Amino acid sequence: MKIGIDYLPFLIPLIILQVGLTAAALIHILRHKTYKHGNRLLWVIASFINIIGPVLYFVFGKEDD
Amino acid sequence: MKAYIALIKKEARENWRTYKTPLLVAVFILFGVISPLFAKLMPEILKQLATTGVKITLPPPTALDSWAQFFKNMRQMGLLVLVILFSGTVATEFTRGTLINLLTKGLPRRTVILAKFTMTTVLWTSAYALSVAITTAYTAYYWTMPTYHHLILTFSGPWLFGLLLISLLILGGICFTTTIGSLLTCGGAVILMTLINIVPTWQASNPLTLITQNLALLTGKLAVGDFWPAALVAVGAIVISLGSSIIIFDRRAI
Repeated sequence: MKIGIDYLPFLIPLIILQVGLTAAALIHILRHKTYKHGNRLLWVIASFINIIGPVLYFVFGKEDD
Repeated sequence: MKAYIALIKKEARENWRTYKTPLLVAVFILFGVISPLFAKLMPEILKQLATTGVKITLPPPTALDSWAQFFKNMRQMGLLVLVILFSGTVATEFTRGTLINLLTKGLPRRTVILAKFTMTTVLWTSAYALSVAITTAYTAYYWTMPTYHHLILTFSGPWLFGLLLISLLILGGICFTTTIGSLLTCGGAVILMTLINIVPTWQASNPLTLITQNLALLTGKLAVGDFWPAALVAVGAIVISLGSSIIIFDRRAI
C-alpha cells in the first residue's frame, strides 16, 4: 500500500504510542521474575497484542510492589 | 469531607503508581488517532481486499465516517480497556486488607465507595474528552465538518455508559470481593442489555442505545426524545448500583 505524506500526521503519534506501550510492558516483564498470573513467555507474547496486550499485562501480570 | 479528599488523593496516587492513569491516557490518545485514520484508509483497505475482479466503488470518506469509526472503537475497545483497567479497584482493597486500618479508625464506609467512583469518573472523563478532542482535530483537518445535531448529547452517550460500567465494577467488587466478580458483573450486565435489545419496544429505554445510536443522533435521524429514556435509565442504574454498593459494604465483614 502506498503511504503518502498525507498519512504522516497520523503515523507519527500512532507509532510512538504503539511502540511505547509495547516497550514499556516488555521492559517491565523482563525486569521482573515473578508475575501475579502467567509466566514470562506468555506475557512477552501478549505484550505484542495490539493495545490490549500491554494493558492486560499491567493489570493481570504485574505484581503489586 | 476531609476523609473524602484524603481518599481521593490516595486513589489518584495509586492509579498513577499502578500505571493505570498513564495507560488509560495513552490508549485513549491512540483511539483518538486511529479513528480518523481508519476512516481515511477504509477505501484503500477495501481496494486491497477486492482482488478477484470485484469492483467496489465507494464514495470518498467523509467526516461522518471518522465519527462512525470513533464510536465503533469506543464501543468495542474503549469501554473494554476502561473495564479491564479498573476491574481490580475494589477487589485489591479486600485482598490486601488495606482498608481495615482506615475503617477501624472511623472512616465512613460510603466515603470509600464515593471516592473510588469520583476518582475513576475523573480519569474516565479526562481520557474520553482527550480522545474526542484529538479525533475532532484530525477530522477538522482532513475533512470539512458539517453542522451536527445534538453534539453534547451524542458525545455524552458513551461517557454515561462508561460511568454505568464503573458503578457496576464497584458493585461487583463489593459483592464478590474479587476482580473476576467485578468483570463478571459488568459482562453480565452488558449481556443482559444485549438480550433486552431484542425486544423492539424496550430498545428505547435500554442504556445500550447510548453507545449504538450516536450516529443516528448526530445526523438528526434520531430525535433527542428517543435518546433521553436510555440516558435516564442509565443514570437510575448508576444511582441504584452505587446505593446498593454502599448498603452491602456497610454489612460486609472485611
